Amino acid sequence: MPVRGAALPYATCPYCQTLILHDARGVEEVGKVAVLPFDVSPIQLGTVLRPGDQRLTVVGRVRWAWSGGSWNEWLAQADDGTPCWLGEAAGLYMLTVEAQQWLDLPELRDFVAGGPIAPGLAVQLGARRLVASDIKEVECLGSEGDLPLPTQVGTRMASIDFRGTEGEVLSLQRDGRGASAWFGASWDLAGLRATNLRAIAGWTLPKDLQ
Amino acid sequence: MTAARAITCPACGGTIEVRAAGFSVNLACVHCGSLLDVSRPEVVLIERHAEAARAYALPLGTRGVLYGDEWAVVGATLRSDGEASWQEFLLFNPYRGYRWLVLFEGDWQFGTPLTDRPQGDGVRIVWRGEGYAAVSDPTVTTNQAVAGEFYWRLAAGDTAQCTLFERGDEVLSRECTADEENWTHLVPLPGALIAEAFGPAPTQPGRRRSAPQGFSAAGAKPQRETGDRDDLVWMFGLATITAIVALFAMVLLAGPVSVVTGRIQVPVGSRTQPERIGTITVTRPYQFVTITADTDNFHNRWVDLDYSLVDRATQQSTDAYGLVEYYTGTDSDGAWSEGSHRTETMISRVPRGTYDVYVGAEAHGWPSDPVQTPDAWYGTETISVKIDARTGAMSWGMWVTLLLGLLAWPGLILWWRNREDD
Repeated sequence: MPVRGAALPYATCPYCQTLILHDARGVEEVGKVAVLPFDVSPIQLGTVLRPGDQRLTVVGRVRWAWSGGSWNEWLAQADDGTPCWLGEAAGLYMLTVEAQQWLDLPELRDFVAGGPIAPGLAVQLGARRLVASDIKEVECLGSEGDLPLPTQVGTRMASIDFRGTEGEVLSLQRDGRGASAWFGASWDLAGLRATNLRAIAGWTLPKDLQ
Repeated sequence: MTAARAITCPACGGTIEVRAAGFSVNLACVHCGSLLDVSRPEVVLIERHAEAARAYALPLGTRGVLYGDEWAVVGATLRSDGEASWQEFLLFNPYRGYRWLVLFEGDWQFGTPLTDRPQGDGVRIVWRGEGYAAVSDPTVTTNQAVAGEFYWRLAAGDTAQCTLFERGDEVLSRECTADEENWTHLVPLPGALIAEAFGPAPTQPGRRRSAPQGFSAAGAKPQRETGDRDDLVWMFGLATITAIVALFAMVLLAGPVSVVTGRIQVPVGSRTQPERIGTITVTRPYQFVTITADTDNFHNRWVDLDYSLVDRATQQSTDAYGLVEYYTGTDSDGAWSEGSHRTETMISRVPRGTYDVYVGAEAHGWPSDPVQTPDAWYGTETISVKIDARTGAMSWGMWVTLLLGLLAWPGLILWWRNREDD
């Protein structure tokens, strides 16, 4: 079983759905991961994204569910190893990179300590003002590929999105291991200049995405 | 095989395709109308129904090409704001995401969901550098029926606060529910294009379209039956006769003309109380009333006009709304201007009676009101608006629309044939 990124210590075996932790101490079996439900996402492991002058390769996916539905978070790695999350919902994409510095904002201290966030809470990130618009308790439905976090069935976390007026997003996550902050923007596939997309039976891959 | 997930309806046992598997959350069964939760691998019944989906203008699952991309109709909903009802269709392409088709009183619009939010107050907003003006106050819109699949928990009976903002024939629609605010950009789409993309409506017999012609080695032009060409002449002839008959009928129906004119002065930066312009009389059971507002030259100002026709006998008021706006400026492309100093508002189906015409107005500067300096000579800036209200108007717009509708099909066929012949 190939293990792609050393910074991504968790890998899902595509044959037996076992989640494996590999680090300096060796390789360890963590548990079982659920089979991902069928979906018609155009992204797959190996899809290449070129937002701006970057080049990112998709190496893993987690499917999260909340009371109102479920969605994919694809892990994309830049050529220098920087991890990015590509959130996929309703055919639109949110591409974010880690931005731990925003966890120091006074408005977010309570969240980092384990407290809740009220809908409508506004935070000022430099010149941008973002508002908490999406507050969810989420549960892992399954995973594939290489990931920085364990994704056994029943893994839970708090997921909060703050949005700006131009599609900017600050995404906060908190699980048993602590809180993390990710900042980015909204995209469509054409804007991401995605290639090596999944071929979906019955649909033609648009020319600009080939 | 198509990329759809097949499920079994837990209410009626029928097989249903989930066309946007992984994105769809709620699904109304095409067989029994029951509402299902399809967000998880296990399908859960939300609400049991026992009637099949009503007939929509576009059947679920139909595919068509619009703006160069193929779209599948995955959801349909019948909506109402209490006065009118219309159909909305959710389109899906796995590589492009979701779009909307709206069918309102025979007119089609194509909608794209926005990720960036327009800026401004409830009256005038700016999106990607362009100004849009509110057409109405927020109205409560109810989903009376739903069919097919949606990427959020849509159910019959759901309501949303909707506001429309216009700029020419482009519309921005804002929909607010308890916990979400969604914006959609809508552009008009000719009905002929919808018919071309999705095929004729299911109730009409399918018209044979000329099949794709293969290349012949000799380069000879493909043969065509002469019957087709005769059809085309007939179609043009029938369209012309219908248009002329409609014109006579409209003139006849428009009825006698009663006119009143007046002028109001609107200070910029404030609003005026409704002012009585005069009286008009509707002598037929129903007539059109047209109100035209004509203004002075001004730049970067907009005037909201509230019209009320108050029936003398019942004191019932029929309200309408007009907007005059004109903006100029320069950008990287040079000087630009948009808007007009004149606007025409048509009120349909005004019942027989004598009406007092009242006009209230509000004028503002763009992007902000001018600073008012007390000036003994000139006073505050005002915009003078000439109002003309008349009955017995002819809806030329309606006739032109009819004409376009009548000529669209034969015209399209003619163009298609010419293109084939080239």
